[in-house]
Amino acid sequence: MKISRLKSGTALTVGAALMSVTVLAASASAEDMAIGPVVGPEINAAKAELGKRLFFDKRLSGDAAVSCSSCHQPDKAFTDGLALSKAYPGSKGFRNTPTLVNTTLAANWFHDGRIGTNLNDVTRESLTEDYSMNMDMRLMQERVKQDPVYVEMFKAAGYGEPSNGSIRKAIPEYLKTLISKGSPFDNGTMSDAATRGQALFEGKAGCIDCHSGPRFTDDQAHNMGVPENPEIWSDPMRHMTYAAFAQFMGVENFLNIRQDVGAQIIKNPADRSDVAKFNTPTLRELKYTAPYMHNGMFKSLSDIVAFYNTGGEDVPNLDPKVRPLGLTFLEQQDLVAFLEALSGDPLTGPEYVWEGEISTNYPAIENWRDVAN
Amino acid sequence: MTKINKSLALMAGVAGLAMSAVTATAEMSYPALAPLGEPPIPLDNKMSDAKVELGKILFWDPRIGGDASTACVTCHEPDQGWAFGDSLSRGYPGTVHWRNSQSVINSAYLGQLFWAGSAASLEKQAPSAAKGAVAGNGENDVMETRMAFIPEYVKRFNDVFGTENPLIGDAWAAIAAFERTLIVNDTPVDKYLAGDTSALTEEQVAGMELFNGKAGCIQCHNGAQATDENYYNLGVPPAERWEDDGLAQVTFRYELYAKGVSQDMYRKLKDDPGLYFRTKEPEHMGKFRTPPLRYTLYTAPYMHNGSFWDLREVVEFYNAGGGENDFTDGTMAATKSELIKPLGLSDEEIDQLVAFLEGFSGEELRVEPPVLPPYEALASE
Repeated sequence: MKISRLKSGTALTVGAALMSVTVLAASASAEDMAIGPVVGPEINAAKAELGKRLFFDKRLSGDAAVSCSSCHQPDKAFTDGLALSKAYPGSKGFRNTPTLVNTTLAANWFHDGRIGTNLNDVTRESLTEDYSMNMDMRLMQERVKQDPVYVEMFKAAGYGEPSNGSIRKAIPEYLKTLISKGSPFDNGTMSDAATRGQALFEGKAGCIDCHSGPRFTDDQAHNMGVPENPEIWSDPMRHMTYAAFAQFMGVENFLNIRQDVGAQIIKNPADRSDVAKFNTPTLRELKYTAPYMHNGMFKSLSDIVAFYNTGGEDVPNLDPKVRPLGLTFLEQQDLVAFLEALSGDPLTGPEYVWEGEISTNYPAIENWRDVAN
Repeated sequence: MTKINKSLALMAGVAGLAMSAVTATAEMSYPALAPLGEPPIPLDNKMSDAKVELGKILFWDPRIGGDASTACVTCHEPDQGWAFGDSLSRGYPGTVHWRNSQSVINSAYLGQLFWAGSAASLEKQAPSAAKGAVAGNGENDVMETRMAFIPEYVKRFNDVFGTENPLIGDAWAAIAAFERTLIVNDTPVDKYLAGDTSALTEEQVAGMELFNGKAGCIQCHNGAQATDENYYNLGVPPAERWEDDGLAQVTFRYELYAKGVSQDMYRKLKDDPGLYFRTKEPEHMGKFRTPPLRYTLYTAPYMHNGSFWDLREVVEFYNAGGGENDFTDGTMAATKSELIKPLGLSDEEIDQLVAFLEGFSGEELRVEPPVLPPYEALASE
């Protein structure tokens, strides 16, 4: 919501998001959408190392109280274990923190898919939004420039002098390192129950219609009839945070609605046909990322499977794929076993976590008057 | 910007005229000090008790800011002269501000707010402070939406402004209205100027004569407000914290970046260029608006960067002919005012002048802090 002073580019990127969704739909071949191991991109180690430190540095938020890792915690596959995220002090979140594992391979980001360009823009959005990190990026740049560790790391990464532009390149480079590995599904070590579950996933249950590809998502938004989280409307701090967001996104009547309109904000179709559509989430690392759905309404995987098995709720524009599945209790258990087999090794080692202390003090630059700013 | 530039050019012209007049005649006349009188009220923001009361609550409310920690009152504390008692103001959490916090008292009379006059009214000053990254760091939509969840605000805004829900622009108007009630215009100096010759001591009267004569203060601190609202470089030394405090160095560079100076200036500037930030005119480097003098007994430290800790230090600074900074010695500019020159005041005369300045302050103005109304849900489960 920071349209001035370099604080947001949402309005710009929404247009770009539409374009890229179209491109994706056209280009995603059957082969791309086959399920299988996740193959990560090439990584520049020095840039990723810099991005890692930035990711864990609270000074990248307006009041230096929260870092990216405050909500994206490594031991929870870069989520926070909460139904609704915490948000920046003074606000409270209205959506569930999504995992960042494999996010580098996504086609669009946020539960409503409102950014479809790249993680540089996603990083900017998260840094600058008033309810996430509320950072004026010009101040962020000057903070980073004041830390001699960063000055060296930016140099080593080939970025030269620290700048807000290269901060938004380094963090996505670090995110490239967060790639699933070692799941029973990938290793071929699934239990019999999980193997039976995979057959249901691809067959009778029809999950694969949306949860396709190595990340188990089509990167498209669907209305699955997930119930509203009443806390968004009963907790004034969550409600006001959503209302301010909705106002900025041009949602009419933003103070009176009692529904998260989801992907409707992107194209804003007059028939409201995109209301309550949310991006298909990845099924990787579910073991670590409860509670589930865009609003954290499901505590366990068996709850979700049971929800889909009933055919969801009767809501307008419910995705036609949602229908009673007729799964037996044992079949549901098998499906859950398969979903659990999609979780790999936790990404918690030093290659993923900045383990050094990051001082929040800024050493004074010596000979300040004699050196160029 | 065009408009600003024009009015500045006009003022610079007036200042130029005044200066040539000084050289021409030793006995130049300036608008005399006068009792302060009542503050001007803008036609588009009339006063009412309900509006003032609302503005007072908002002034104390930290939810009018980014992380709900920093209200107007955070840097304009009633027991610190409605200012902040450190050289640089405290700023938003995780930051330090870059200039000295000015008193809100009598700000109603000023046509140019902030040290470089970047806001033309209290209605414009408030959002600038509430939104700046090193001040309030708030966003309009969030602050406005927060108020909609505070039923007492919804009712009060409706009563005062007739809107269904609070609008952020009306919040600034209400805060400005409250600030227009923070008036101190019955100081000993005011009483004396109104004819009560017993209001000042003999020492203070002698100080006033120096003020109007030998010390030349009247050349800029003139008229009822004791300021010409013009811009001068006195050679106030750069803030010490920029030399040895990393947090202050961060903010200093941030301001260079945010105020849009050239790459070359961003690299070179090591001192606050003041009015230059607004105009980018080299001759405006290092110039700051003449501050008013009432209530100053309570607003130490003094000057745009809080370099001086008591009034005697300030007078001694002038007596020595001001000082040096990057904008006096040619490092970046040489804009020191020709009005600033050694005054040759004796110790006794300095005492007299300080005593007179103290007579500008009167009683401290304190108010009962408001009770902040709570958030309430608009919907039930």
